[in-house]
Amino acid sequence: MRSLLFAVLAAYLIAAIHSILAFVNKRRSLQQVAQWSMAIGFVLHTATLIDDWAVDGHYPLFGQRETLSFLAWALVAGYALVLYRYQAQAVGAFAMPLISILTFLALLISPDSAVSAAKFSTTWLFPIHTTMLIFAYAAFFIVFMASVMYLLQERELKLKTFSGFFYRLPALSTVNEIATHAAALGLTLLTLGLVAGVFWNWSLHGQMWRNDPKEIFAVLTWLLYFVLAIYRSTANWRGRRAAWLGVFGFVLVLCTFLAAPLLGSYHVFGMALL
Amino acid sequence: MSIILIGLNHKTAPVEIRERLALDDAACAAGLRSLVDGEVVREGLIVSTCNRVEILSATANDQIEFGAGRVTQFLDTSGQLPPGFLNDHLYRHTDEEAVRHVFRVASSLDSMVVGEPQVLGQVRHAYSLAVEAGTAGRVLNRLVHHTFRVAKRVRTETGIAASAVSISYMAVELGKKIFSSLKGSTVMLIGAGEMAELSAKHLLNAGASRVLIVNRTEATAQQLANQIGSATVVPFEHLDDSLHDADLVICSTGAPDYVLKEEHLRKATARRRKRPTCLIDISVPRNIDPACAKVRNVFLFDIDDLENVITSNIREREREAERAELIVQSEVMQFQQSLRLMDVGPSIGAMREQFQDVARAELARQRKKLGPLTKEQEAAVESLLMSTVNKISHPILNQMRRFYGASDADASQASADLFDLEE
Repeated sequence: MRSLLFAVLAAYLIAAIHSILAFVNKRRSLQQVAQWSMAIGFVLHTATLIDDWAVDGHYPLFGQRETLSFLAWALVAGYALVLYRYQAQAVGAFAMPLISILTFLALLISPDSAVSAAKFSTTWLFPIHTTMLIFAYAAFFIVFMASVMYLLQERELKLKTFSGFFYRLPALSTVNEIATHAAALGLTLLTLGLVAGVFWNWSLHGQMWRNDPKEIFAVLTWLLYFVLAIYRSTANWRGRRAAWLGVFGFVLVLCTFLAAPLLGSYHVFGMALL
Repeated sequence: MSIILIGLNHKTAPVEIRERLALDDAACAAGLRSLVDGEVVREGLIVSTCNRVEILSATANDQIEFGAGRVTQFLDTSGQLPPGFLNDHLYRHTDEEAVRHVFRVASSLDSMVVGEPQVLGQVRHAYSLAVEAGTAGRVLNRLVHHTFRVAKRVRTETGIAASAVSISYMAVELGKKIFSSLKGSTVMLIGAGEMAELSAKHLLNAGASRVLIVNRTEATAQQLANQIGSATVVPFEHLDDSLHDADLVICSTGAPDYVLKEEHLRKATARRRKRPTCLIDISVPRNIDPACAKVRNVFLFDIDDLENVITSNIREREREAERAELIVQSEVMQFQQSLRLMDVGPSIGAMREQFQDVARAELARQRKKLGPLTKEQEAAVESLLMSTVNKISHPILNQMRRFYGASDADASQASADLFDLEE
């Protein structure tokens, strides 16, 4: 359903532009437009995914195109949660453009062949593996953004010089809390996703570990976020160090995400990025 | 109808004059009743605050001078001043200028501190007094409601009131920036001076739940605690023991040396599980050791830091005020347009009535010749007549609206005359 995805992209673009304008001009009316068009985009996007599923006959998270589209969808869901829970509209000015770019890339890539997907959809472990990981990546992106916002503001508070950003970003305690919760959620999803992947591999090939670059990165990522989650979950306020961990963690996430196509990996399923 | 605004504010009159003219609620109501006579001054509203006394009134178009004279005279007598005494201090705006002035005042563009939020409430209060006194009519109702809309637009679409411009309010601003909400937070005042009191009041308004007062002279601290209401006095020797409770510390003692040092903060921060602390030092010489800022999650601001931020905030407000002026400008034009259409409203309505009456009368005259009709047929005949009349009269009415919109009084009068209409 390419035409529907065009509509999704249009809605996300409108949301991105209005989020940025709302961020710059601090206007509530623009923010409303952004949120409504994001909601419309999300509904259409969900419809696109369901439609893909129905037409192609496999879970709509397999090839490169589907992965990008699904990741964009997961990010919208994540941002919506942040909005609902923390009213941190500023996140949208950064998340919405990225979501738009991901959707645009998904549109550029031609539809994946459905043939190779068939053998993976025999068990429900594979879709769980991929879905959990995509949502974990979305959560880690939110940790990353909140961490950057924290570091930026902490620096300005210490230096006592406030830039335009300062007045537009959510409060220090808010971004600290967003990072803490998103990291915990992301770690849970990552764990579930990895366990599902290991079991899936075992059930299919009788083997749990392949020494794949992607697998190695994934385990490193898991370790880092495990440390981060433990560090953050103690009763003490965790500011700067945890924020730096959130930033480095995301670099690892990117490595994991891109390891397959770049380093040559078993995880290349019909050009998949997972 | 014309709108006249006469008054004075902090820019045109010193406080000695403003205080003589300031009216309390009862005086406002009485003044409005005596000023608005329904003949010359048809509608009236008085805004009286510590920075301005302004009288907004509506008169017939040809009685502007007379009406303005009455208002000036009213001001003279209410201030018990000789006639002409106020001439140098009063400003007078009519119609478009008056509308612009009201919009600017309510949007806080004319305030001493641009963007301060109280003035809108004061205008609102003035309006409710006028409504109670029965002196707000067709024109002022419309103007005041439009004013509220403009003020809201300015507030939401510009950052005119976004940042703090006073030292006492900076504490609230910084607290919100760090803790996101001050609800449930604890504030410690070291030193019981005026600045401490003002900051504490702002912080309590913003939701702070506990105030600790530390002062060398305990009696002074107790006095301030009583004034604030919900405050606890902490003996100076126990400062160290309760420092970890404080999210915000405002320090304003006259001590010649540092009251808070780095090791105090290290201990307190560890005890409060590394949660951030915001220290504000408004005393000169400084009472908080600058080295405290080295402690992680401690944010220290001295008086110069605050002044710097405030200066840049004021500049920011001025930039935003320019944007606000553009909004006011476009709203003034819209209001003037709607006012003209309001004038034309009754006569256009009357004309349409007249046309429809003619059609109905004709139908009644010819009805018998049509014989018995079903309900549908009856309705069809009537709608046929009405839509014919409406379609024919539509361009004429539109033309009239345009004349009024362009404020072409002669042309609109001519069209009213053409159909023998009276206003």
